Amino acid sequence: MKEILISTRKMTKHYPAGEGKFTALKDITLDFGKGEFTGIVGPSGSGKTTLLNIIGSLDTQSEGEVIVLGRDISSLTTKESAALRSRDIGFIFQTYNLLPVYSVYENVEFPLLLLKMPEADRKKAVTEALEWVGLTAKIKSRPGQLSGGESQRVAIARAMVKKPHIILADEPTANLDTENSMNVLQTMQNLNRDMGTTFIFSTHDAKVIGFLQRKITLVDGMVASDEINGAAG
Amino acid sequence: MIWKLAWRNIQGAGLRSLINIIIIALVMIGIIWSQGMYEGWMRTAERESREWLNGDGRITHKLYDRFDPFSWDKSFEQIPENIQDLVDKGTAVPVLITSGTIYPEGRMISLIVKGIPAGQQFLKLPTAVLADGGDDIPALIGSNMAKSSHLKEGDIVTLRWRDMHGAFNAADIRIAAIMKTPYLEADNGQVWMDLERLQLMKDAPKTATFIVIKDAGDVPQTSDAWTFESIDFLLRDMHAMMKTEKTYGYLMFALLILLAMIAIFDTQVLAVFKRRKEIGIFAALGMTQKQIIRMFTAEGMLYAVFASVAAGILGMPLFIYFGTVGYRMPESYQDFGIEGLSEAVIFYYTPAMIISTVIIVVVITAFVSWIPTLRIARLKPTDALRGRMG
Ligand SMILES: Nc1ncnc2c1ncn2[C@@H]1O[C@H](COP(=O)(O)OP(=O)(O)O)[C@@H](O)[C@H]1O
Ligand SMILES: [Mg+2]
Repeated sequence: MKEILISTRKMTKHYPAGEGKFTALKDITLDFGKGEFTGIVGPSGSGKTTLLNIIGSLDTQSEGEVIVLGRDISSLTTKESAALRSRDIGFIFQTYNLLPVYSVYENVEFPLLLLKMPEADRKKAVTEALEWVGLTAKIKSRPGQLSGGESQRVAIARAMVKKPHIILADEPTANLDTENSMNVLQTMQNLNRDMGTTFIFSTHDAKVIGFLQRKITLVDGMVASDEINGAAG
Repeated sequence: MIWKLAWRNIQGAGLRSLINIIIIALVMIGIIWSQGMYEGWMRTAERESREWLNGDGRITHKLYDRFDPFSWDKSFEQIPENIQDLVDKGTAVPVLITSGTIYPEGRMISLIVKGIPAGQQFLKLPTAVLADGGDDIPALIGSNMAKSSHLKEGDIVTLRWRDMHGAFNAADIRIAAIMKTPYLEADNGQVWMDLERLQLMKDAPKTATFIVIKDAGDVPQTSDAWTFESIDFLLRDMHAMMKTEKTYGYLMFALLILLAMIAIFDTQVLAVFKRRKEIGIFAALGMTQKQIIRMFTAEGMLYAVFASVAAGILGMPLFIYFGTVGYRMPESYQDFGIEGLSEAVIFYYTPAMIISTVIIVVVITAFVSWIPTLRIARLKPTDALRGRMG
């Protein structure tokens, strides 16, 4: 049995909506093991982003339990959850979310600055991360000068540079064409294989399905299916 | 780390940062420049007052009131012996005051007649011209007085005065010289003549109304009839006026600072709104709210620090020019009779002035940068990432 990094138990998320509330996730009970390459699929509005945000401690559940790396995330202070994100969790977003005023190098360096890594180590780590995504030639560029595919690869480098346990990617290929999507997925898959990092990402992109080891389908905030995909890898 | 990031943000913001820095720098230059002006003006006025009439203070007859001509008939007395010693040593100058009237070309002008030893050395008044005797009485007037009374050098005019017994007398005086003095209290409405002559005219030998002292540390004990007036006391009117001027000046700075701060506040508020997505990213990457707030505040402080440097560089030529060449008020202003303005005012800058300006601007800028970040504290990372305010 693989080591479990994330587990949710009967986790429910309500959003306030007008007078009442809207239930975005209902009774989610899932375990994510170390080194998984898992996709959460489902139509728009099915609760994928909400689930990733809660796992990533950017948000908290309304009911139930969420344990990430041994910690009950609903009990964390804002400072503790920030520390968890800065050390152990990397985010990748649909819209890349690079810091526009920073260069590629500075974007990738940023998480290491937060970790107060010494300059020399930082430099090595950033260079290495940019090698993983094949962007060493662009270190001085600004995000505005990059293509979508390049931007997403910088985002991957930024998420991976601190070698976190978990990468959460919210529709990472939704804004990319097929070629770039394949490239980004390939990059993530290689990192998952070589470094053992757990990847959980949401998608409603059919191209992605073939890459998945495990596919969790959400419908209306509930788990509709949870399948292991033998063909992956 | 926070400072490094703040610095990156400033660099990244490019032109916007530059504009902010220049605005703050201009405000700082304005503040230091005008403070330098007030300080220089005050020093000039004080120096003139010391050099021309007030020395290091004076021993004045208790009954003397410079605004009340009736007091002048009672407010003189024999110069105390120990003060006469100072006069003989040349470290004190007695002045006798009386009221008089002149009749140039049939007009009648009331004036203050001041007697001062023709041989005195330490006041700048060109009293030597008063010594040259002859039949008529040599008198000295200032250029403003000459203008208002239409008197020219060499004019002879009848002066009427009362002696100490109350009897009226008249004699001709000759305008021996017209002096240009920046110290208007020695000019407007006054005529100077030799002390001994005036004492004779008043039939009050060896008397004075006040005695100007060269060194306040040197003031001897005197009888109750006399009182020592320090230079600060004598300059109180000027200080009061300067205070009003300064208050207006400060109001101006306040306005300037306000404008600069609105500019910064605006950028920072904009930043918090425009950069809320960025704030979400910072949060997602593991920055705490505190760190984000500190980073924004640090940005503001860095603006002010760079602005200080820029103000130093941009303002230096201006400061040096006004600190050496100075500034001369247009002639028309001189007629207002504002002390110290008829000479070029050499601006004077003090370290305290510069340091306090820098500190005030840095603190205010930091504060103004910090206020908008309070909204960040209420922002949930997920909302920020969506680009929404919580
Ligand atoms: N902050 C929020 N406030 C209210 N409703 C929200 C909020 N975030 C998401 N929702 C709603 O929750 C549901 C799930 O959203 P989301 O997790 O973004 O789905 P997905 O990522 O699968 O498209 C949607 O109906 C959405 O409108
Ligand atoms: Mg979504």
